[in-house]
Amino acid sequence: MRDALSYQARTNHWLTGALVLACVIVAGVGFAIGDTFYLRLATEALIFGGLALAVDILLGYTGLLSLGQALYFGLGAYVSAVTLIAYPSFWGAMGAALATGLIGGLAGGLIANRVRGVYFALITFGMAQVMAKAIYNTRSLGASDGLIGVPVIDINLGLLSVSTASPAGFFLFVLGMITALYLVCAYLMDTPFGRLLIAMRTNEARVPFLGYRTSTLRLGSFMLASVVAALSGALYPMLRGFVSPELLFFATSGNAVITVILGGVGTLVGALYGSLIFTILKSVVGSWTEHHLIVIGILFMLVVIFLPKGMMGLLHALLRRASAGKRP
Amino acid sequence: MLEYIQFVLAPQVVTGLALGVAVILVALGLTIIFGLLDVINMSHGEFYAVGAFIALALGQLGLPFWVLLIGVPLLMLPIGYIVERGLIQRVFHTPDRHVTTLLLTFGFGLVLEDGLRLAFGPNPHKPETPIPGAIEVLGTFLPLYRLFMVGFGGAVIIATALIVYRTRLGAMVRAAAFDRNMAASLGVPVEHVYAGAFAFGVALAGLAGVLLAPIYSVFPTMGRDFILLAFTVIIVGGMGSIGGAAIAGLLLTQVQAISSLYISPVWADPIVFGIMVLMLVARPKGLRGRLGHA
Amino acid sequence: MKPATRHLCGLMLAAAIATPAVAADPIKIGVVTPLSGTYAGIGQQVRWGLELATKEVNAAGGVLGRQIELLFEDEEANPSVAVQKAEKLFQVGKVDFLTGTVNSGSTLAVGQLAERSGRLIATTVSFADSITADKCSPNVFRVNARAGQQSAALAAWLAKEKPQAKVYYLGPDYEMGRSTVSAFKANVERVGGQSAGEVFAPLDSKDYTQYFGQLRAARPQILYTSVAGNDTVRLFTQLQEFGLLQNMTVLGASGTVTAQNIGAIGKAAEGFTTGVGYSAEAATPENKTFVAAFRAANKADPDLYGADSYGLIYAYKAAVEKANSTETDKLRGALRGLKWKTPQGEKTIRAGDHQAEQIMYVVRVKDGKFTVVSQVPGADAIGADTCTRF
Repeated sequence: MRDALSYQARTNHWLTGALVLACVIVAGVGFAIGDTFYLRLATEALIFGGLALAVDILLGYTGLLSLGQALYFGLGAYVSAVTLIAYPSFWGAMGAALATGLIGGLAGGLIANRVRGVYFALITFGMAQVMAKAIYNTRSLGASDGLIGVPVIDINLGLLSVSTASPAGFFLFVLGMITALYLVCAYLMDTPFGRLLIAMRTNEARVPFLGYRTSTLRLGSFMLASVVAALSGALYPMLRGFVSPELLFFATSGNAVITVILGGVGTLVGALYGSLIFTILKSVVGSWTEHHLIVIGILFMLVVIFLPKGMMGLLHALLRRASAGKRP
Repeated sequence: MLEYIQFVLAPQVVTGLALGVAVILVALGLTIIFGLLDVINMSHGEFYAVGAFIALALGQLGLPFWVLLIGVPLLMLPIGYIVERGLIQRVFHTPDRHVTTLLLTFGFGLVLEDGLRLAFGPNPHKPETPIPGAIEVLGTFLPLYRLFMVGFGGAVIIATALIVYRTRLGAMVRAAAFDRNMAASLGVPVEHVYAGAFAFGVALAGLAGVLLAPIYSVFPTMGRDFILLAFTVIIVGGMGSIGGAAIAGLLLTQVQAISSLYISPVWADPIVFGIMVLMLVARPKGLRGRLGHA
Repeated sequence: MKPATRHLCGLMLAAAIATPAVAADPIKIGVVTPLSGTYAGIGQQVRWGLELATKEVNAAGGVLGRQIELLFEDEEANPSVAVQKAEKLFQVGKVDFLTGTVNSGSTLAVGQLAERSGRLIATTVSFADSITADKCSPNVFRVNARAGQQSAALAAWLAKEKPQAKVYYLGPDYEMGRSTVSAFKANVERVGGQSAGEVFAPLDSKDYTQYFGQLRAARPQILYTSVAGNDTVRLFTQLQEFGLLQNMTVLGASGTVTAQNIGAIGKAAEGFTTGVGYSAEAATPENKTFVAAFRAANKADPDLYGADSYGLIYAYKAAVEKANSTETDKLRGALRGLKWKTPQGEKTIRAGDHQAEQIMYVVRVKDGKFTVVSQVPGADAIGADTCTRF
C-alpha cells in the first residue's frame, strides 16, 4: 500500500532511525567516559517511552484516551519483579509480563470498550485507581513499601549476554527492545488492521458497513496497547531493582499522556522522542525549581493549543518545507 | 436496639447525607459543564480548591463567613468566564473536542494546584467553623454546621435545577446544548451562553470550596480528594443530568456509609466503583439522560 | 559573611591547620526529600534542620577542615523518583553521603541503590520498623525513632495513667498504618489493656465520619490513631464535631500531630498524647539553644523531623572525625555504636541493626502546645535487634 499515510510512516521510520543512531552514539560516549547516571536515566526514559507508545496506539490510532495505562505498565513491572525474585530469568519475566498483558488487556478491554469518548477515559482512570489501591494494600506484594531486592541478572542472548547492571549494555538492550516494540506497532498500524483503526477514529459508524466488527477491532487495539505497556513495565525492575505502587498511580498515566502530546499524537515515534524530551525537561526544570509542575503544565497547555501534532508535527512540517525547497 | 439506632446508625446516615450533599455540590458544576459544552473539566477539583483558598485569604482579612459564602462564587464567575473564552474556546472547534479539552483542563489543573502551593505553601489550613456546637435530636448528637450544610447545599442544588429547567435563561442554555446552530439562528447568544455556563459551573465549585472548607480543611491538593467520587456520581447519574447526579450522589454515599458499619471501610471505594462499572456496562447513559436531551 | 568570603575563610583555616590541599574540597551530602506534593511540609522541616546544622558546622570550621555542602533533589514522595534522584546525586553530584527520604518505600529502595553503589544513607523521617529490622541493609542507618520505640513509650505511660483501658485503633490503610497499629496493640495488650476493635481508613479519606460507626459501636475509652498530615486535621475536627472527644482520650503516632498541622487542627488537638522522639518543649540546654536558633532561622518551630535532621549532620561529623575519612567502610565502622550529642541529648546507633537508641518522650497537647508528661530511657524503648543481614 502506498499513500499519504505510508509516506508519513516512512518519514517516521527515518526519524526512528535517527533516534536509534543518536542513542547508540550516546551509549558509546557514555561508555567511553564511564558515565552511569545519564545512561540509566536514558534507559528509564526509553522504558517510559514504551508506556507512551501504548497510550499513542489508543489515542493516536483508535481515538481513545486512556488515563490509566499505568495499570498495565505497573502490572507488568510487578509480575516481572515477582518472577525475577523467585526465578531470575529474563525470558521468564518477559513471558509472564506478556501473559499478564494479554489476560489483563482482555479483561480490561471487555469492560472499557463498552463505552466511548470521555467515558472511556474515566473508566480506564478508575480501573487503574482500584488496582493501584489493591496492590497498595497487599502485604505479600510489599504493600505501600513496594518490593525491593530484584536481583541483577544476565540476559542470555545466545551469542552474548548482557548484565542489567551494565549501564551502556542494558541501555542498548532496552533500546533494542523498545525499538522492536515500536517496529511491531508501526508494522501493525500499516496493515489493514491499523487502517481500520484509523478509519474508526475518523468515523466509527461507517466501519461496520465495510464488513468489519468494530468491537473486535477495538478489543484488538486495547490488548495491543496493554501488552506493549506490560512489556515495557517488565523492564523497569531490571533497571531499578524494585517496584512500588506509585508505578500504577495516576501521575504515571498522566505523565505518559503528557509525553505523547509533547512528542506528537498518532506518530508512534513521537512517544519515544516525547519521553526523552520530557525526561530532560523534568531533570533540568526540577533542579532549577521545585515548582516544576507549573512549567510542565504551561508547556503542555501551549502544545495542546498551538501544536496539535506535537513536536513530530513541527518536524514533519520542517522536513516537508525543506524537500519542497529543493524542488521548486 | 433503640440505643444502637440513636448512637450508631442515625449518625451514620446523617454523615452519609452530609457527604452526599458535599459530593453533589462538587459534581453539579462538572455535570452542567459537560452537559452543555461537552467538556470534561479536569481542573474542576482545582477550582474547588481556588474557591476555598480565596475564602481563606479574605477570611483572614476579617470578612465574615456569610459574606464569603455569597462573595466568593461571585468572584469565581469572571474567572470561569475568562478561562472559557481564553482557553476552552481556543480548542473548542477541533475535531477531537472531548480529548483536547480534557487534556487542556488537565494541564490547567496542574498549573492551578502548583500555583496555590506557590502562593499559600503546602500545609493545611482550617477555617473556624462558622456555626459551632451540636444539637440532640431524638437522642442523636448532630453537629449544627453539618445540618446547615445539608440544608443550604440542598437549597443550592434545587435552585440550580430550577434555574436550568424552569427559567428562560435555562431554556436558552438547554437549547444551546441540544442544537448549537439552531439555537444560534433563533437568536440565542451561544458564545456567551457557553462561557456563562462554564462560569456558573466554576462558581458552584467555588461555593462548594467555601462551604466545605470548615469540615475538610484547605490545602493545595484538596481538589484531588473529591474528584474521583464526583466523577463516579455523574457517570452513575448520567453525564449532564442534574437530577441524576443528585440521586446518584445520595445513593452512593449511603452505600458507603452503611457498608462502612459492617465491613472494612477500605472496601467502600471499590464497592462504589464497582457500581459505576456495572452501570457503564449495563446502561452507559447513566440513570438519567443528558442535559437538553432528556 | 558572603558565601565567597566564607569559602575563603574555610580555605585559610584549612591551610592554617596544614591539611593537604584536597581536604579543602567540600564534603557533599545529597538530600532527596519531598519538596512538592502532599509531603512537602515534612520535606521543608528536613531541609530547615539540615541547613541549620550545616551552617553551624561550617561556621565552626567544618568537618576535618572541609566545609559541608548540601545538594537537594525533590523526592516527590515517590520511590521511583527518589531512586532516580539518588542515582543522580551519587553519580553526577559525587555526594559522599545521602539522606532526606521520607516515604518508607523510598528509603528502602534508595537503601538498595546505596548498597549496589557502595555508599551510605541515613533516614531521619521514615517510621516503618522494617527498615532496621527484616529489611535492614548494611548501608542504611536510621537516626530517628521507629514506630516500635514510639509505641513502647506511649504504652508505658498508658499502663500507668489508665490501666486496663479499652482501646480502639484507627490507622491509615497502608504499611505504616498497619505496622504502627500492630506495634501499639502488642504493647497495650502486654501492659494489660484491652483491644476493642480496629479499623483502617484509606489514605486521604475525605470524611472519617463514616468510620465512626464501628468506633461508636465499640465504645472505647481510648482511641489510638496513626493517620498523618492533612488526614489528621480532618479526623480530629470531625471527631470533635460529633462530640466524640468528650469521653475519649486520643493517643497517636508521633507523626499524627506535629508543628506542621497543629495550627490547622486547633482546639480538637487538646489532650492528644503521643510517644515521640523529640519535643520542642524538652527542657535540656542543648534543646533550648537549638529551638532558639531554629526559630531565628526559619520563623517556625522545629518538629521531630527538623530536630532529627539537624542531629544527623552532627552524627555525620562525629563519625567522619572518628574514622578520619569519608570512605564508606571506614565510615560505616565509625557510625556503628556511635554516641553523639543531639537536641534530644545523647543518641547511640546500635551496631546490630543501625537503629538509633534515644530517649523517648510522651507529650501531650495543652493550650495548643506540646508539653512533656513523661520520659522513657532509650534502652527500654528500642526493642530487640531482629536484623539478621549483618
